[in-house]
Amino acid sequence: MTEAYAQNKKMKKVHLSDKARVALISKWVFLGIMIVFTLYPVIYTVLGSFKTNAELTQGGGFFPSVWHFENYYKAFIQADFTKYTLNSVVVSISVTILAVTTTSLAGFVMARKDFAGKKILLALYMSMMFVSLGSVTLYPIYELLRALKINKTIFALVIALTGGQATNVFLVMGFTKGIPKELDEAAIIDGCSIYGVYSRIILPLSKPILAVVALFSFRNAWNDYITSLIMTISIPKLQTLTVAVVQLKYSVNSAAEWHIMLAGASIAIIPILIVYMFSNKQFIAGLTAGAVKG
Amino acid sequence: MKETISRNLRIKKTLKHNLQTYSFLLPNLILFTACSLYPVVWTLKYVFYQYGGYGTGKPIFVGIANLARVFRDKVYWESVLHTFTYGFGKVLIIIPLAFFLAFLLNQQKRGNGVTQSIMFLPTIMSSAVMGLVFYLLFNAYNGEVNKYLLESGIISRPVNWLGKDHAMKTLILTAVWGGVGNYMVYFIAGIQQISEDAIESARIDGAGKLQTIWYIIVPMLGPILKIIMMLAITSAFNDITNVMVLTEGGPNNATMVMSLYGYRYFFPISAAEATVPQYGYGAAVSVVSAAIAGVVTVIYLKVSKKLDDIY
Repeated sequence: MTEAYAQNKKMKKVHLSDKARVALISKWVFLGIMIVFTLYPVIYTVLGSFKTNAELTQGGGFFPSVWHFENYYKAFIQADFTKYTLNSVVVSISVTILAVTTTSLAGFVMARKDFAGKKILLALYMSMMFVSLGSVTLYPIYELLRALKINKTIFALVIALTGGQATNVFLVMGFTKGIPKELDEAAIIDGCSIYGVYSRIILPLSKPILAVVALFSFRNAWNDYITSLIMTISIPKLQTLTVAVVQLKYSVNSAAEWHIMLAGASIAIIPILIVYMFSNKQFIAGLTAGAVKG
Repeated sequence: MKETISRNLRIKKTLKHNLQTYSFLLPNLILFTACSLYPVVWTLKYVFYQYGGYGTGKPIFVGIANLARVFRDKVYWESVLHTFTYGFGKVLIIIPLAFFLAFLLNQQKRGNGVTQSIMFLPTIMSSAVMGLVFYLLFNAYNGEVNKYLLESGIISRPVNWLGKDHAMKTLILTAVWGGVGNYMVYFIAGIQQISEDAIESARIDGAGKLQTIWYIIVPMLGPILKIIMMLAITSAFNDITNVMVLTEGGPNNATMVMSLYGYRYFFPISAAEATVPQYGYGAAVSVVSAAIAGVVTVIYLKVSKKLDDIY
């Protein structure tokens, strides 16, 4: 009896683990397909950037037969990508700094202070999050910057890319509200002004949310296409990487330049890939902080 | 006398206090006014004007003529239809797929973290640059997609993936590629908020995996699912970059979505196209499009509320 029970139990265990194994295998088969689907275009881009145009367009192996590093030389030197990379770096970093400082300051007072017009302001910010007229609003922004005579400078692009930041202000505001008010009060008793409270208490404590704002602002600025295209339409020398890469599609001999396009595309995606490698946890956590809780 | 002094002092104090507060607010307020508020007001105004832009003479007031033209514009309403096709296609594929991925990957098991990071990867890449890459991959004559399909014998002749018949499907596929990781992360956050106990007790009661998903996880995800769906719908209405780079709205307007249709009256869609801008009409198109998106959102919220009552 006990023997039979033990045997039965043993069989059941084997049976169960079989079932679990099938489940595990089918899970990873499915995930494997999804991983290939996801990574393939990226791998194609990076490997393709080392191939010749003929290999790309007339069918070659998965890997380049010879690694043509000179594609990058051509992209950087002949297609002027050095300049565009520099533009992208300067613009993305400026947008990040501008976004973080302005939202941090505004989020702080919106969370902590009462002032005349606060309710109206909050309602306006909120409504702008829901009204989306899309990219056509770039035209009035461009005209405004022209009226201010900065439309031919890199500031125009930085300002337009930073934008109104309503969502980020709410994000920082929500986070600041979670910081105990007693800390502010203690600092005020100790003789801190509003500036002291901000710089000594709130700013250091809100670093996590500011990192989220920074990460996403950088990503958006680096990856943006339409805003950068419009704002540099009359000043091609200020074009960013994405704009320059996509413009290759319309160049006269684009059919003969797939390898250059892919080299350009790689130059545009590799920096953000490196950023992602070191910060993918923050990216993923930041996304949920911004969307689900916000 | 004493009272007035103290009142003056108090006013002075609040004034100082307000000035300090506004000094914090000002940098963002300038950006917000210039980049969010002003463009919306501008667009609402120019709905009623005919305007060809800087240096083409003064805008002419035309009343509701632009709006009337929008309602008669057949190509525009086709673009609305395309937007719905695109949006529904994208949401219908992306939501179940993202949910399933989240279900498989939400526990801390070996390999799950890395897979999450991989699935999220497309989200951090430029949709314009990847649009160009997809343009090469799906190219009818030289693209890798056709090459593999021909080699494996699935198709016998090259398929024109960016042609009239397939461009929308290709567009949706690439949008799924770019977005699924994003929604997967939302779903993981949602699933992790469901208590392990509920799932565990269902399992003890003999519920299978599918039953657990359907009877425990989906209903308990309710409120978050609602938000995720809404994000998916509204973002599908706003997608423009990927369309612009991959298909340019073509061929022959087959993938023209309403966001891009408004855009084309302001700026050329591609460097190859020369357009005469019509800002007033473009503004009218954009406002009507925003209204359509708003109506859809409201209907969605109403319907999802009804569904709440049923549960």
